[in-house]
Amino acid sequence: MDLSYTAEEEQFRTELRDWLSANIPPEWAEPGFWRSLDDAESFRLRREWEASKTAAGFSGIQWPTEYGGRGGTPGMKAIYDEEMVRAHAPQTVNTLGLTFLAPTVMAIGTPEQKAEIIGPMLRNEVIWCQGFSEPGAGSDLAAVATRGVRDGDDYVVNGQKIWTTNAMHGDKIFTIVRTEAGSERHKGLSMMLIDMNQPGVEARPLKQMSGASEFGEVFFTDARVPVADCLGEIGQGWRTAMLLLSFERGASGVGQYTEFRRQYDEIVEQARRFGRSDDPVARQKLANCLVELECLRYHAMHILTQVEQGRDLGSESSMTKLQWSETFQDLWEAFDDVLGPEASLERPRPDVDLAPFQAQAMWSRSVTIWGGSSQVQRNIVAERVLGLPR
Amino acid sequence: MFFALTDEQQAFAETVRDFVADRFDLDAVRAVVEDPDGDGHPLTLWKGLADQGALAVLVPEEHDGLGLGLLDAQVIARELGRAVAPGPWTTSVLAAEALRLAGSPEQQAAWLPALAAGETVGTVALRGEAGSWDGRGITVDASGERLSGTASPVDYPAVAGLFVVAATDAEGAPGLYLVEAGDAAERSSTTGEGAQGLAIRDQRTYDGTARVGAVELADTPGELLTGGTLSGGRAVDALMARGAVLTAADLVGGAREALTRTIDYDRDRKQFGVPVGSFQAIKHTMADLHVGVTMAEHAVLFAAHALDTDDPGAAIAVAVAKAKAADAAWAATGAMIQFFGGIGFTWEHEAHFFYKRARRRAPLFGSADEHRERLAALTMD
Repeated sequence: MDLSYTAEEEQFRTELRDWLSANIPPEWAEPGFWRSLDDAESFRLRREWEASKTAAGFSGIQWPTEYGGRGGTPGMKAIYDEEMVRAHAPQTVNTLGLTFLAPTVMAIGTPEQKAEIIGPMLRNEVIWCQGFSEPGAGSDLAAVATRGVRDGDDYVVNGQKIWTTNAMHGDKIFTIVRTEAGSERHKGLSMMLIDMNQPGVEARPLKQMSGASEFGEVFFTDARVPVADCLGEIGQGWRTAMLLLSFERGASGVGQYTEFRRQYDEIVEQARRFGRSDDPVARQKLANCLVELECLRYHAMHILTQVEQGRDLGSESSMTKLQWSETFQDLWEAFDDVLGPEASLERPRPDVDLAPFQAQAMWSRSVTIWGGSSQVQRNIVAERVLGLPR
Repeated sequence: MFFALTDEQQAFAETVRDFVADRFDLDAVRAVVEDPDGDGHPLTLWKGLADQGALAVLVPEEHDGLGLGLLDAQVIARELGRAVAPGPWTTSVLAAEALRLAGSPEQQAAWLPALAAGETVGTVALRGEAGSWDGRGITVDASGERLSGTASPVDYPAVAGLFVVAATDAEGAPGLYLVEAGDAAERSSTTGEGAQGLAIRDQRTYDGTARVGAVELADTPGELLTGGTLSGGRAVDALMARGAVLTAADLVGGAREALTRTIDYDRDRKQFGVPVGSFQAIKHTMADLHVGVTMAEHAVLFAAHALDTDDPGAAIAVAVAKAKAADAAWAATGAMIQFFGGIGFTWEHEAHFFYKRARRRAPLFGSADEHRERLAALTMD
């Protein structure tokens, strides 16, 4: 066991921490700050801030330098995730592009795609959305019905995507399209890189149970996509999609632990404020959340070790997802349980604003659905890790 | 970052695993379980473990030990839990730890070589009936170096040559004392009483892989462990923490084995014309158990390392490990009975070895609830 980072990695931490402390206004750490802005203003602020972070050399931590990345180690990425949370840095605006599309383009993109996609994405000049889920294709991704028909040098795309993060702000969307008429399931699909700024594409916000609209819907009506904007081979979209999703593996959970652990402390503070921190049942509930949170931290160190050793994580990422998402949801259920009647009030006292807490509590209902529901993850663990029959 | 066992530690685990599998399989375990009047301390297993260095693991090299850490010791504990192996390994190793942490060089020299070689069996008597697993649960009083009171439950008191007893002195200060059992043969076979006011009352646990008794002390000579790195309440706390981690390791080993056996069975067992393991009701339970047991394994590794390195977060780490391991072991061994179906409820089947061992050991050195309360105290008060 050696739980330390290298001197070079710690040096990186110092540099990043210095930059973050100089470039994050103190008010950003206040719980209600981001909620006090309207959606467009919040997005603009985050987009500009992140571009300045890229200019300072603190984006694309693990990407090769030829793509504008830092060429850092997995340990530096873990440090980055941790420090971003510690500094109350805003959430990235190009998350799906950075996490999924960029490494896929690096792996199988054409030279033109590599040149045109990665740099502008890193600088936030182009915001990318992901077009996978459809009303009829949620957990069952191979049921996609959005279709593309060849017309000269273009494909003409019709259909609907849903649960699209940043739909209202997106410039382009990487989209699974059925390009072979009459094909079924995993066959006849292609990964299309579609320009959203055209008449055939319409994005609509999707108002969620929380009242917020992190997600949206995207409608394609005779949208045109040049053949050159297919990522991977035409008809091999499923293979491209699986490669793309594989880049979720190796996300260690360090950042999530850091964030959730802070939320635990904030919930404890509220419990204390409302005289609930002495209740033995409340203490058991919260402490059990802490047990699971600490396990998430150890698991993150385990995953980071596997990545550094160059081991294939296989389906272990399903365990990571289950651990963090179920723990996060349990933590926010504990908030409601422990605070009792006060938990549902925005202003239980004139000086106490629980709205940011309630927003997290509502958001926690989504995390066990998106990115592969808990039920799908359990199937994966049971079949691919434990070898139980399909 | 290297959060894993080294190649040497993994090889050590395999050596212990192969040895136990080869020399002490489930038939041998059953023989011990079905002989409740026996001492539950098979000497072939004990001597073999001694030969492997399993009893010397934490003993310093100058006292004929291996001088390794808890991270290495938990490797052994996990394998013994996996094998539901009987015998006083955990508490004998803890008795040696008490000497290493709190004993004077003379006390260490007097006992550690014999404990490391397995010539003397040690055990620990750290709390009394209904007491908590910290200094407040001590029920033995020390008047100078004379001890009186009853400690319970104590693992393998009948075969122990050395007891490490937690007692409270006249000022209310806790400390660790050595009590020599003397020659077991000299103890009366009817009253269990030795010549020194030491009596052992067999308590008969349903966990047939252990023997447990109450240790009754009446003005019994006890030598205070003093002159070591730790003393008093801090020595008691340190021993409790190590007991919690080694018990958690045993629980995790048993949980992993129970889960593996259940999955292997449900992959093949057919009902309704298909393997029952193809049903999602079973798959999802197994997946959750696998995640839980894996997290408990991580937690035990981290806690052992935290104690080895005096990590400032060790108190949280130990409580997390014990709470998680206890819950995971109850869940996995209970599921073993459920998902073997009716056969899992029979005496002939081995599921009850795992279940009963987990049930008995889970509360030792603090239950999951007690450790969660500790976490609450550490983060909420």
